[in-house]
Amino acid sequence: MTSADVLLNGKRVLVVEDEAFVALMLEALLEGFGCDVVGVAGTLSRGLEYAADEALAIDGAVLDINLGGEKVFPVARRLLARGVPFIFCTGYGVAGVPGDFAGVPTIAKPYLEETLKTALVAQIG
Amino acid sequence: MVRRLQRPILATAGLAPIIAILAAIGLVVVGVGLALFNESQIRQQKLREATVQADILAGSVTAALSFDAPRQAQQYVDALGVNPEVEAAGVYDSAGKLVAGYGQQRGVSPPPANRIGPPQLQANRVIVSRAVAEGGQVFGSVYLRTIQEPAARRVARYSGIGLLLVMAALVVIVLGAGNASLSEAHRKLKVEMAERGRTEEALRLSREQEAAARIELADRRNREALRQSEQQLAFALEAGGLGSWEITLDSGRLQASDIFRHACRGARSEQPLDTVAGLEACIHPDDRETLRRALARAADERTDLEAEFRTLAPAGVEHWILLRGRAAYDEEGRAARLAGVSLDITERKAAEERQRLMLAELNHRVKNTLATVQSIAIQLGRMAPDIATFQSAFLQRIVALARVHDMLSSVSWRGAQLADILQQTLAPHVAAAGEGERIRIEGPSVQLGPNAAVTLTMAFHELATNAAKYGALSAADGQVQVTWEADDPQAPRLIDITWREVGGPPVAEPARRGFGTRFIERGVAREFDGTVNLSFEPAGLVCRLRIPLSLKLRMAA
Repeated sequence: MTSADVLLNGKRVLVVEDEAFVALMLEALLEGFGCDVVGVAGTLSRGLEYAADEALAIDGAVLDINLGGEKVFPVARRLLARGVPFIFCTGYGVAGVPGDFAGVPTIAKPYLEETLKTALVAQIG
Repeated sequence: MVRRLQRPILATAGLAPIIAILAAIGLVVVGVGLALFNESQIRQQKLREATVQADILAGSVTAALSFDAPRQAQQYVDALGVNPEVEAAGVYDSAGKLVAGYGQQRGVSPPPANRIGPPQLQANRVIVSRAVAEGGQVFGSVYLRTIQEPAARRVARYSGIGLLLVMAALVVIVLGAGNASLSEAHRKLKVEMAERGRTEEALRLSREQEAAARIELADRRNREALRQSEQQLAFALEAGGLGSWEITLDSGRLQASDIFRHACRGARSEQPLDTVAGLEACIHPDDRETLRRALARAADERTDLEAEFRTLAPAGVEHWILLRGRAAYDEEGRAARLAGVSLDITERKAAEERQRLMLAELNHRVKNTLATVQSIAIQLGRMAPDIATFQSAFLQRIVALARVHDMLSSVSWRGAQLADILQQTLAPHVAAAGEGERIRIEGPSVQLGPNAAVTLTMAFHELATNAAKYGALSAADGQVQVTWEADDPQAPRLIDITWREVGGPPVAEPARRGFGTRFIERGVAREFDGTVNLSFEPAGLVCRLRIPLSLKLRMAA
């Protein structure tokens, strides 16, 4: 185990990602980091449900920006309000991120395992 | 002007030689008259002189006669010899007898007897006889003969005068003739000049007429050419859907063709468009400044104008107009006018926007596809016992992915019908002849978005591959039935899809979940926020998918 794995180990992570394959990979990668994936949402409404569920403890989140034509930002705001750190990943590039999320790390698809890990450690480690 | 002078000059010139001849004749007549008058005066003078001389002689010899002294008388007579004009003189006694005589030359003498009579004027002599008397008593008489100027000399003298007169007359005639010929020459010159003036005038008129005719012809040709070129221009503009416009910069006046006006005001508008302010009012507020700047730049920097703006048509339909033009300058180099053409580029703009969106979308898709490929590689890599197994499994999925991309590309990624992706996915696993019996696809029209199409295609690919390897399609009579229906046909909220295999070999629950199973049960269910149930029933595998309708998946109209 590297120091990064120690930092991420046992962290409860929420995934919002609408591409089935990518979600599966992300889940596998996070589990590989030692994270506990508390939920994988493929739609905005499911994502909001998870974010709004105060009973669900979340240490951090990985959010895909575009969810089948809808944007993930309402989920991001909800998490921000809860004080849950998160990172964005997107196929569009950084241009699509609104100003209030300017400081949020954004990684572009496809990404390396290491890139994901570094961004996560910076946010929730 | 020249013509008016010619008549009087011609009349005077004709009379000139006649006048000259008459003047010469007059001169000769006057000359001759004067000569004759002079001659007669001279003769009278001579006569008086002779008379006086005779009287003096008579007075002088009175005493000599009265005293009968002939010698004294002779002295007086001889004294007359001093006068060369006295040819002969004589003194006679009362009886008429010559007492004393004088003759200028030998052989010339006074007559021997004298008879008193009136003075005689002969051809060239004057003869005077006077009585010698005193106190009424006559003592005798005197005789005096004087010689006039000799005829030859007189003729010579007068001929000199005559010659002068003739010369004067000749001079007059010559001068007159000269004058006449000069007048004639002058007249001819005048006539010639007048003629020439007329010719030149005529020539000038004819040249002017010719020039005017030429100008008229050129003008007509120009007008014709202009008319044709205007027609061609109008035709070309209309054919090209181009409007034309011209702005007079100092007044802000705008001349707009109907096409341009309709583009700005709406196709049915009759409202005029004749000022720049009017044009601006038709333009989208966000684009007004852009146009203003573009116009100013073209005028100031002498560059070609190219500006695009949106119009506010009354119907609310936004149109994009492209303006192209150029400024024209006056003699002082100031921009006076801007003119050019307009083109409605709404379609082009829409196409550009579509293209921009498509490019962004394509970029997104490529990234997502790569992420999908990455995901497949990672998951297969974790499960595969060796590299050969991985390679085969990986390439299978890549080909399936490529096929669904092909299908979506052919419809510009608008999406696909559920029935179509099922057909395409299952078809390669059955012989063409038996297709109708081994595959059953049935359900209402369901339209899938591109992402949903990819995901479901990959899911059905996993099921089909499994069926071909171990399931219904591995047996000769096996059948795959895929049916779906909406929960409520009137107001559908979700759709139930059932994949059922029949006629295949007996099925048993697998010991562990593979890539395909994991993908279908977890990946598909989460992507659509639905539920997926895979049941390995002995008669055949059954997969039930319950998917809520959404932007990704909807009932087609």
